Amino acid sequence: MSISFRQQNNIGFIEFDHPQAKVNILSAEVLQQFDAIVEEIKRKSEIKAVFILSKKKDIFIAGADIKEIEGINEKEEGVLKAQAGQNIFNQLEDLNILTIAVIDGVALGGGCELALACRYRIATFNEKVRIGLPEVNLGIIPGFGGTYRMPRLLGLEKGLRMIATGKVISGPEALKAGLVDRLYPAQGLEEHLLNFLEEVSPKPVTRRKPKKFKQKFLEDNPIGRLVLFKEFRRSVLESTKGFYPAPLKAVEVVEASVGKSREFALELERKGFSELVTTKVSKNLVKVFYLSEKYKKLTWPGTENLTAKPLNRAAVLGAGVMGGGIAQLLSFQGMSVRLKDINYEAIGKGLKAARKIFDQAVHKRKTSASFSRIRMAQISPALDYSGFPEADVVIEAVVENMDIKKKVFAELGKVTSPQALLCTNTSALSVTQMAQATQNPSRVIGLHFFNPVHRMPLIEIVKTDLTSLETLAAALQLVKRLGKTPIVVKDGCGFLVNRVLLGYINEAGRLLEEGAGLTQIDKLVTDFGLPMGPFLLTDEVGIDVGIKVLHILADGLGERFKPVETFEKIYKAGFLGKKSGKGFYVHGKSRSLNPKVMSMVTVHHRRAWNSQEAIDRMILLMVNEAALCLQEKIVEDPGAVDIGMIMGMGFPPFRGGLLRYADSLGIEMVIDRLRAFEKNFGPRFQPCPFLLKMQERQEKFFS
Amino acid sequence: MDRIAIVNGIRTPFCKMGTVFNDMSAQDLATIAVRELMIRQRIDGKNIDEVIFGNVAQPPDAANVSRVIALLSGIPMTTPAFTVHRNCASGIESVTSAGLKIHAGEALCILAGGTESMSNIPFFLTKELQEIISQINRAKTFAEKCNALRKFRLKYLSPRIGLSLGLTDPICGLNMGQTAEVLAKEFGITRLAQDEFALRSHQRAIKSRDLLKEEIVPVLPPPHYKQAVEYDNGPRENQTLEALAKLKPFFDKYSGTVTAGNSSQVTDGAAALLVMSERRAKDLGYEPLGYLRSFAYAGVEPQRMGIGPAHAIPKALRKAGIPLKEIEVVEINEAFAAQVLAVLKLLESNQFAAEFGYEGWTGAINPDTLNIHGGAIALGHPVGASGARLILTVLKELKRKNQHYGLASLCVGGGQGSAVVLER
Repeated sequence: MSISFRQQNNIGFIEFDHPQAKVNILSAEVLQQFDAIVEEIKRKSEIKAVFILSKKKDIFIAGADIKEIEGINEKEEGVLKAQAGQNIFNQLEDLNILTIAVIDGVALGGGCELALACRYRIATFNEKVRIGLPEVNLGIIPGFGGTYRMPRLLGLEKGLRMIATGKVISGPEALKAGLVDRLYPAQGLEEHLLNFLEEVSPKPVTRRKPKKFKQKFLEDNPIGRLVLFKEFRRSVLESTKGFYPAPLKAVEVVEASVGKSREFALELERKGFSELVTTKVSKNLVKVFYLSEKYKKLTWPGTENLTAKPLNRAAVLGAGVMGGGIAQLLSFQGMSVRLKDINYEAIGKGLKAARKIFDQAVHKRKTSASFSRIRMAQISPALDYSGFPEADVVIEAVVENMDIKKKVFAELGKVTSPQALLCTNTSALSVTQMAQATQNPSRVIGLHFFNPVHRMPLIEIVKTDLTSLETLAAALQLVKRLGKTPIVVKDGCGFLVNRVLLGYINEAGRLLEEGAGLTQIDKLVTDFGLPMGPFLLTDEVGIDVGIKVLHILADGLGERFKPVETFEKIYKAGFLGKKSGKGFYVHGKSRSLNPKVMSMVTVHHRRAWNSQEAIDRMILLMVNEAALCLQEKIVEDPGAVDIGMIMGMGFPPFRGGLLRYADSLGIEMVIDRLRAFEKNFGPRFQPCPFLLKMQERQEKFFS
Repeated sequence: MDRIAIVNGIRTPFCKMGTVFNDMSAQDLATIAVRELMIRQRIDGKNIDEVIFGNVAQPPDAANVSRVIALLSGIPMTTPAFTVHRNCASGIESVTSAGLKIHAGEALCILAGGTESMSNIPFFLTKELQEIISQINRAKTFAEKCNALRKFRLKYLSPRIGLSLGLTDPICGLNMGQTAEVLAKEFGITRLAQDEFALRSHQRAIKSRDLLKEEIVPVLPPPHYKQAVEYDNGPRENQTLEALAKLKPFFDKYSGTVTAGNSSQVTDGAAALLVMSERRAKDLGYEPLGYLRSFAYAGVEPQRMGIGPAHAIPKALRKAGIPLKEIEVVEINEAFAAQVLAVLKLLESNQFAAEFGYEGWTGAINPDTLNIHGGAIALGHPVGASGARLILTVLKELKRKNQHYGLASLCVGGGQGSAVVLER
């Protein structure tokens, strides 16, 4: 049994404790058990109050069963499933006694909705307390009464915000919002609970937070509400660009149920839920959720039983954009960092970049000023290798030049401790060659961070044939400690993300040289769902960086990566992108097309182009390259490609990922189109053997 | 008994108040020195038993600044820390306190030093304004608030400047410069002698710039981290006697001789020293820079505070059993040229030695051994840090010249003198 009930005098305790899993989830079966217990309580008239708790550490109830949600393919089924849960929570709400949810950990989705149906909610000071309705991240809206109860508890604006953004909040934030009624220490909790009961037994507290003037003004009259919901729609559309229907549906459902009965509101909710749950977007988002959960906790065969030693001291070589960002990230996570470069001017820039990130975090109240001060003090500058012998991990981020990198690794091999983890942040160069410059290549590994380091969630771990399992285990541990998601890639030119990405950027360049408009191409790509187009992305990363990597890729992988003439011209003209203020665009307070760039575009063969063909060329070229990576075993698993492209370049999650998108087109269509492009535009579109084999066997990337 | 080893030390550059370190607190400056010292010495923080820093102004946002420095520097939180205050000798006090603790068997290894950010000494409200504000805070009704506010006068707004409060002796009522005037008059120290002394300080500091760099960790000052500060910024390259002569006496406008030019500069800086028992140093594989042989503090009249070293030096030498003529490197802090010159005069006086029973432990100090890399007139005097800097400078110089005995001494506001005898 996942739930147990015990009675102590006239107080009942419902305790969740799933026997086989680490977390409690509300599967259909668990819900039925819960229903039975509620029925039992109803019969026992002596019970005056019920506490609902979890026996799991740091978990209340993590949510509904995602597998069940994923399995819903018919709207009617969705309606029924939601209704079943709604009815049970209604029963809970209608109990004539005090019901109190005790949240000592994660209470998300259905878990949060269960708590909402209680009379009171209590949370502990446990830092792991997280409460919210993150359903929109799976492309759906809450289906167990969350859309009805949350806005009624927190007020329209705050409640709707919780639903439409899927924002998950901490215990203190929940107290402030009025989502929980008290915070108590987990130590001696039972006594606090009983005291609370005595406090609220004689006179029930109804409304906890008095409405502020603004809230009253907006929420308590129809005109105010009109403004409120209009504004909500606008901001939701702005952030989802219309690709994600769930937040918009949340606004619709909440608006339509204002002032209406519970019955009416819940019917609207389950209708909305069932419409969303059957969409392709939702199915894709669920897949992406699984993938990201898997990769966040990634282990590698053979490393499961290796416990890497704790990493406390780090050294970073090179204080450029990447080095400075990496130093900030390491110190932010509590490591002391020695930051070395060849002169103080360079280090000063790195320190300034790190300081800026800390200052922004303080400004946004993500950290306190004192926290940021002590973390900043942990980064100390050096021109020599002092401090390196004590480092547990060294990350090299010097200029992308193999001779310099080899020299650096030869030196590192001598000055560092034999146990230290030696990492390179190269974006495309051979890690194996660098490793061979040291006496012990088995402790060298690539850690490819993405720019900006503090914001990009992905790190490519580049394992060479010489890398030991211990080294890989330590690298995985480091990446997780830094709060990033790893994918493990083989040491092949450009690894995975840059290789796939830059083929696409270059293709965009070719389109440009065929007479397509720069902003049109960018718009085409954002209309497809990416956060920015290829040219704006290049400006962000730096045109110099792009050109450099393209050259490395062309040398290693062939002609198809040779940067188009226009890119070279723009680079030589000194337009480096955002960092120099001008690239394809002029970056000031607002962004505009750089007029000088347009005159530099060499139009080779002007031709009529249409948007479908253009987007297919860019995307399918990536698919082909990714398939080639699978063929070369750069990555073993199509999932790594999808998570890599979603987190590394922002490939739209609602499409499920690059290869899942290819699956949705079907292998026949992918190959047909590639063949047509091959005929018209050249051999770079020739479908790779991996794809042909898939066609032959009628396989998908994800079966 | 085990000797007290000073394994090594490092300091930030000393920079004039309100210049490059304006945005750095005393704890920020010290943290840079401590971190760098620990990294260069390759010492694990868990080997440090105590952190003792000297500091005079005591930053209000960092009570017990030593503890703040320790934690900012990554020294384990289990290591305790306390702050010492003996005015201008606070930096020396940190080392002698460390020595006593080690000799008492209370510690084996102590991180000592001194720090001062004179750029960040706060201004205070007048007592009247303070009263009005607290009355307003206490007031329950609007009328009470208005009542309190009615007492307000514009003149209450003029702040009390922390720096000048700190530099004024609360017993004799003189500020430090005025005590230097007292000595100048008593010992007949001329304006010219003072200016010549100041000029030499600048010339020596300029000449020794690269030598002094050996004891300095370059600092990239926030918030812009733009230009690394690698040298002290007090010494003036083209300082001339004529320019010094043009300055007006600052403390006694009409008959005075003490000017801004022949006084120490108001400065920010920090110095850190790693102090251990001799055996502990050996066990950890260190070759110490030198050893603390003896030390002494002496009390004098507050209005003659600058004369302090004349008492502390013979006392420390007597404890060490080393006559003055055997000392090869001498640092006497240049709070004021007049004060150093007075000390030198008195040390040469047999009558003085006889009066206080210092016979055999006084004498003339060879100018070629005194402050040979310049002193506080050129380098500046971050009050809490200077004592630690003098010890570091003496030890580095002994090592450079492979000599044996050194002496560092400071006069102390409030009427004290301090001296340490160092050896290697």
